[in-house]
Amino acid sequence: MTRIPPTGSPAQAGPDLVLQYRGVRKVFGDFVALDGVSTQVRRGEVVCLIGPSGSGKSTLLRCTNGLEKPDGGEILFDGAPLPSDEAAMRPVRRRMGMVFQSFELFPHKTALENIAVGPRIVLGFEERKTRELGEALLAKVGLSDKAASYPANLSGGQQQRVAIARALAMEPEVMLFDEPTSALDPETIGEVLNVMKALAEEGMTMVVVTHEMSFARRVADRVVVFEKGRIIEEGPPEEIFERPKVDRTGEFLSHIGWSA
Amino acid sequence: MEFDFSPLVDSWQYLAGGLLLTLALSLLTVLGSLALGTAVGLARCYGPRWSRPALAFYVDSMRSVPVLVVLVWMYFAFPLLTSVTLPPFWAAAVALTLHIAAYVAEIVRAGMVSVREGQMRAALAIGMSRRQAVAEIILPQAIVRMLPALGSVLSITIKDTAIAAVIAVPEYMKRSETVAGQSYHPIEVFTVAAIVYFLILFPVTRIVDLIYGRVAHLGRS
Amino acid sequence: MKLDWWVVWQHRDALVEGTLVTVALTMVTMLIAVPGGIMLAVMRLGRSRPLALASASFVEFFRNLPLILVVYWAYYVMPILLGVQLDAFTTGLAALALNVSAYNAETFRAGIASVRKGQTEAALALGMSRWQALREVVLPQAARRVLPVLASTWVSLFKDTSLVSVIAVGDLAYNAMRVRSQTFRVLEMLTAMAVIYWGLGYPQAKLVDWLHRRFGVRE
Repeated sequence: MTRIPPTGSPAQAGPDLVLQYRGVRKVFGDFVALDGVSTQVRRGEVVCLIGPSGSGKSTLLRCTNGLEKPDGGEILFDGAPLPSDEAAMRPVRRRMGMVFQSFELFPHKTALENIAVGPRIVLGFEERKTRELGEALLAKVGLSDKAASYPANLSGGQQQRVAIARALAMEPEVMLFDEPTSALDPETIGEVLNVMKALAEEGMTMVVVTHEMSFARRVADRVVVFEKGRIIEEGPPEEIFERPKVDRTGEFLSHIGWSA
Repeated sequence: MEFDFSPLVDSWQYLAGGLLLTLALSLLTVLGSLALGTAVGLARCYGPRWSRPALAFYVDSMRSVPVLVVLVWMYFAFPLLTSVTLPPFWAAAVALTLHIAAYVAEIVRAGMVSVREGQMRAALAIGMSRRQAVAEIILPQAIVRMLPALGSVLSITIKDTAIAAVIAVPEYMKRSETVAGQSYHPIEVFTVAAIVYFLILFPVTRIVDLIYGRVAHLGRS
Repeated sequence: MKLDWWVVWQHRDALVEGTLVTVALTMVTMLIAVPGGIMLAVMRLGRSRPLALASASFVEFFRNLPLILVVYWAYYVMPILLGVQLDAFTTGLAALALNVSAYNAETFRAGIASVRKGQTEAALALGMSRWQALREVVLPQAARRVLPVLASTWVSLFKDTSLVSVIAVGDLAYNAMRVRSQTFRVLEMLTAMAVIYWGLGYPQAKLVDWLHRRFGVRE
C-alpha cells in the first residue's frame, strides 16, 4: 500500500504519536503474555500485529483500552499515560474504538440500535441525532437495508460490519481490531476487509491483530511480528513479508503458508 | 445491652431432645418422600396412561398449597374426616412426606426427561429392552442430574420441620419457642437456634455441591 | 358428624380480607426483594472484595435458616435492635423480604454470570461505565434466564406468607384459623382455607410452568 506516512523520526514524542508502548509486561499466573514490549503507532498509520497464537498480540491490544492492566511498563495515549483508575479510563475508551473477534453485538438490540447505543448512552446525544448518525454509518458499511434487523438474522460478515460501525459511531481517534475476521466464513471475510481497507484509506489510525497476511501486505504501513510475548521484528510490509531479517519471522510465514 | 444465656444452659437437654426430634422427623420425611416421590415421578414417565392425570393433579396441588396448611389440616381436620387421630409427630411426618414427595416427583420426572432422546434410541438400537435401557442408561444419567435438586430437598425438609412447631410437635423450633417464652430471653434463645440450624444446613448444601462437582461429568451426554 | 359449610360463607369477609393481606404481602415483599436481589448480586460479582464477601455471607445465612425462625426472630429481636415497636405486618414483611432477597440474589447472580463476558467488554470499549453496561446490555439479556426462576420464587413466597400467621398477622391462614377457633367448625374452615390457597396457587403454578417452557434455557 503506498500512502505517505507522516515524516519525522519515529522516536519523536507529541501528538504525532497516538500510542506509545514502553516495556509493557503482562502475566497471567505463571504465563508471561507480554515480556517487555516497546513500539509505537503514529497518527494515520495502519499497524498490523502478526505472530503465532498466544504470542501476546491480543493481550497488547486489550491493554491498550484498559480491558487488561499491564503489570509493568507503560502505555501512552496521545502522550499521556493510561489511567489506572477504571472511572478515569472511560473518557479514554471513548476515543478508541474496538472490534472483537466474536463481534459482540448486543443481541437484544437491532443493528441500528447497536450503533446508536454508544452515542446515546455515553455521549448523551438525542434520539434523532443518534438515528441519523446510525443510518449514515450503516450506509458507510453497506448495510442500510439491515437497520431493523437483529444480530441473529445477520451473517457473520454483516454482524462484524455493524460492529465496526458501532465503534465508529463514537468518532474514535484510533481503531483497535482483535482478529476481526478469524470467526468468519471465508466468503464473508472479504466484505469486512474491504470496509477496513476503506477506513485505512480515509486516514484512520488502526492497530489490527490479524492472520490475514494478504491484508497486512496490502494495507499496513507497518507490520509488527510477535513471538512468545516479545516483538521479534517490525518494519514496512515489503520488508517483513519479502525480506525478513529474523529467521523466526521467515519460519512463521512459511509455516502459515505465506509465499512472497 | 445485656445477654443472659443461662436459660439455654439450664434447658440444654430439653433443647437437645428437640434437636434429635428435628433430625428424626427430617430423616423419616426424606426417606418417605424419596420413596413416594420417585415412584410417582417414574409412574408419570413410564406408568399406565390412566394414572397420569391423577398423579399430575397430586403433584400440582401440593405445589400450590403452603406446608403450614397441609400440616394443620392433617393434624386437625384429617381425624374428623376419618376418625383416625395421629399424634403430632406422625401427623407432621405424613403431611411433610406428602408435600415434599410432590417436589421429588417433579425432580425425578424432569431429570428423566432431560436425558436426551438419542440415548434411549441408542440403547434400543443395541438391542436392550425399554426396561434395561431405563435402568442401565437413562436412570444413572438422570440421577446425576437430579443430585443438586435432591440435595436441596434435604435442606428444604429440615427447614420445613420447623413449621411443625405450629402443631405442637416438640421438635427444636417448638422447644426453642417454649424456652424463649418461659425465660423472657427470646434474643438469646432464637439467636442460638439460628446458629444451630445454620450449622446443620450449611454443610448439607456444601456436601451436595461437592458430590455434584465430582460426578457431574457422568450425567452429561 | 354434621358439617356446616354455611359457616364458611358467613365469615367470607374475614377470608377475603385475609386473602388480600396475603396478596399484598407477596407483592410488597417482591417489590423490595427484586431490587434487593439485584443489589446483592451486583455486590457479589463486583470488584470490591469486602462487599462481595458481605453479600455472599448474607445470602448463605438466609438461605440456611428456616423462614419461620426468621419470622420469630424478627418479631422478638427487631423491636429491641431498632428501639421501635413495629406492627406485626411490617415485621412479617421484613422477615419475608430478607429471606426472598437472599434467594433472588442467587437467581440474579446466576443470570448475570450467564451473559458472556465479551458483552460487558464490548460495552466498556464504547466508553460505558460498569453500571451503564449492566443496565443496557447485561440485565436485559439476563432477564430471559431470570424470569422463570423469579416466577417460581413468587409462588413459593405466596405460600410462605402463611408463616406470618404465627405472629398474628391477619393473612388468610391466620384469619381462617381464627374463625375456626371461634366457631369450632374445624374441618370446614381448614378445608376452605386449603381450597382457597389451592385455587390461588394452582393457576400460578401452571403459569410458572408455562414461563419455564417459553423462556427456559436448555442445559
